[in-house]
Amino acid sequence: MNPATYGAIATRLLYREAALLDERRWDEWLALFAQNCEYWVPTWRNEEQLTEDPQSELSHIYYASRAGLEDRIVRIRSGRSPASTPLRRTMHSVTNIEATGLSGESMAVRSSFVNHIFDPHHRTTVSVFGWYEHTLAYGSGGWLIARKKVVLQNDQLPAMIDIYCL
Amino acid sequence: MSDFSQLVDDRPAEGIFRVHPDVYSDPQVFEFEQRYVFERTWMFLGLESQIAHPHDYLLAWIGRLPVLISHGADGVRRAFLNVCRHKGTLLCRLESGNRKFHVCPYHGWAYDSAGRIADVKDQASGAYSAGFAREDHNLVPLGAFASYKGLMFGSVSAEVPPLAEFLGELRFFLDLAMEQGPQGMEFVPGRVGFTYRGNWKAQLDNSSDAYHLTSTHVSFMEVQRRRADLVSGNQEARQFDWKRRFEQQGGAFTFKNGHNAIWLNQSESSKRPIFSRIDEVRERLGPLKAEWMLRLRNLTVFPSMQIADSTSLLIRTFRPVAVDETEMRYYCLAPIGEAPEVRQWRLRQFEDFFNVSGFATPDDTTMYEDMAVGLRARQIDAVQGYYRGMADCVQGADEMARTAGVTPVSSVQGQFDLQAETWGHALYREWSRLMASGAEAERAAGTAGAR
Repeated sequence: MNPATYGAIATRLLYREAALLDERRWDEWLALFAQNCEYWVPTWRNEEQLTEDPQSELSHIYYASRAGLEDRIVRIRSGRSPASTPLRRTMHSVTNIEATGLSGESMAVRSSFVNHIFDPHHRTTVSVFGWYEHTLAYGSGGWLIARKKVVLQNDQLPAMIDIYCL
Repeated sequence: MSDFSQLVDDRPAEGIFRVHPDVYSDPQVFEFEQRYVFERTWMFLGLESQIAHPHDYLLAWIGRLPVLISHGADGVRRAFLNVCRHKGTLLCRLESGNRKFHVCPYHGWAYDSAGRIADVKDQASGAYSAGFAREDHNLVPLGAFASYKGLMFGSVSAEVPPLAEFLGELRFFLDLAMEQGPQGMEFVPGRVGFTYRGNWKAQLDNSSDAYHLTSTHVSFMEVQRRRADLVSGNQEARQFDWKRRFEQQGGAFTFKNGHNAIWLNQSESSKRPIFSRIDEVRERLGPLKAEWMLRLRNLTVFPSMQIADSTSLLIRTFRPVAVDETEMRYYCLAPIGEAPEVRQWRLRQFEDFFNVSGFATPDDTTMYEDMAVGLRARQIDAVQGYYRGMADCVQGADEMARTAGVTPVSSVQGQFDLQAETWGHALYREWSRLMASGAEAERAAGTAGAR
């Protein structure tokens, strides 16, 4: 495949992920991830340095498999989490998509995001922004997310931040 | 509102403990408590291990006051207002680092790591008056600064009891956190900070509040039940059997100066990171402390530092920004030199439960924000959140405290579902006392309302 094809595949997948989160199509969103995917939202060590090792430094979220993501969906669906009732409305905006490290079976994708989060309960809006690093892998199920790293540039968080806000 | 004496209605003989909503929602009360509470008592600033070496420094807050803690060349740690004496600019702009000299970015005044003025830029050519020479150019030190077991505290006011006396009998519970590592304790790198739109006392209360678990955190329990089959869900955080937890004995202690602690026997202590090292702990500290370390414990050092030792070990501080805005900071506390696999396990359980991006805290903060709205209702004359356990509460030590060699102000114990709220009495009695004594001191000095 030529680089443009990789780019098109990456763009399609990232746009789809954003739409599925905004439209709360949780099962379809989970299905974008490989079973053994890594999901990581590192914390900042201080104003200027991001943490580098989730095994020895604190993360906002770290899951070593898709099971961690499935837990989040169980909670959202439980109807018994005050922070999720009502659910925030989100708008994921993904731009500046760049696919690198191309091989037949995988690619690394960097993109920028600005996600707007509206709380219909208190009628307030916050936004989170930063960049995504996706690793996409090709297997029997087509292209899946093997790794997603979310770098949050504004890390003084609001009073709740859930997986569907990122 | 300048008479605060009516806000906490405390009549033990009649079984009454009521707190007025203004305590949580009145902007004027908030302004006064900045001076009377936050600037008149000891406040947690950080760990000694955060500034282990000469010239290491750290920034902190006391209420709205910016604080600089610096490790001097002489090995002494000191705390100052992080304010340049020239024009009142913030001196340090980065929250931690190593600096032999702190140079103000505005006009270049320099201070050494002991807070002494080292250079007034271009002083010789400045045609300064004689009056300038009589000014004190050194950084303004806090009124008091001291450490206990690696925990650094400072007070704006010098009129505070010695730190050990301030912490009093709570020290037993602080020891249970700070003595877990044979080489001391450290914060795991990585900062978690968030802001909620509610009063700081919502967080002050919630850490001791066992009563909300079975309603606010039901979704987390559901996730845990699902994980417990060992097939589904994230298995990197160990699961607790909540049913067994609810059968355990627990209790609450209040202490002097506003502090409190709650405890719960632990049915599955092997699921906590400390368990992997408990033999070493027992050998070093004896069976009593080892046994207590395996219990779930949450403590509050009034007014704004909390340690929670449940699924993982947390130090939490909060900074009141406005009557309905609070900045939180969470730290993962761990033994220095901990085995990598235990550190990893500790992190996963910390993130799972404590993080605002995790499964428990956002449900709490959501309640804090809703309280901030509800407590604006002038029709409500008191909250009723400090009554549970009152009928069973004893003055002084109960059997549990006696075995620990601790003498609290009050003790209460029962099965988990007692979920006592008497810990609140320590908080609001001390709040009330500080508000009254602060107002009295300003009246005596003739400075009331001067700011």
